[in-house]
Amino acid sequence: MRDLLLFAHIIAGLALIAFPIIILLYLKKKPKWLKAFSFATAAISWLLLLPSGKLYITFYPATKTLVKAGSWPWAHSIVMETKEHWGLLLPIIATVAAGLVFTGKTKESKKWWILLIILSALIGVMGRVVKIGALK
Amino acid sequence: MAKFNFYLGAAASAWLLAILIVAAELISQFKTFLANAFTHHWIGKAVIVYSAFVVFGFLLQNKKSILNFSDEKAAWYSMLGSLIIIFLFFAIEFAR
Repeated sequence: MRDLLLFAHIIAGLALIAFPIIILLYLKKKPKWLKAFSFATAAISWLLLLPSGKLYITFYPATKTLVKAGSWPWAHSIVMETKEHWGLLLPIIATVAAGLVFTGKTKESKKWWILLIILSALIGVMGRVVKIGALK
Repeated sequence: MAKFNFYLGAAASAWLLAILIVAAELISQFKTFLANAFTHHWIGKAVIVYSAFVVFGFLLQNKKSILNFSDEKAAWYSMLGSLIIIFLFFAIEFAR
């Protein structure tokens, strides 16, 4: 169960980096599939809450104990606390970006897609830092 | 933007999340209340913030600006501000 959730969490997280990159590459050309792809990206950002929430609420407390007892307690207190809350803003950012594409404001959506890429990548790196923190 | 203002929905939810985080960390009774009401404080924050996104997005659908800021600028700087505040708050709390 935990591994399945972890895979879903990682794959969806990677999609939130890869899909907006594809969208940005085709933003000026405005192909027919752009709206559908934007909608799919926003949908993934909402669906991602399910595995990430389950992992955080059910499985993270054991890891948290290890991190806080180790030599990198900041990995929980700063990195994980920030990560778990930044993650709540991913669906909002993706929905704003997709909403702008749907309302014809593709140019304005550009910086929201970029923010989605940067934030998703940062959250991934932060997850790795927390994991390392549990082993320290 | 007609029917739904994505910008102001996002601005409201970004600020609300920052406020909820600070309040929950500084007032333990509030964190307990969120946990009791929604089974977990994280779920509580998610439900409130996403509800605010929808409610304010519809309520402010005809507003093009707020406090002399265009809705687009308000959303962008609110989102960046919220992300920075969240990080700084936990960094300062750890250092205290």
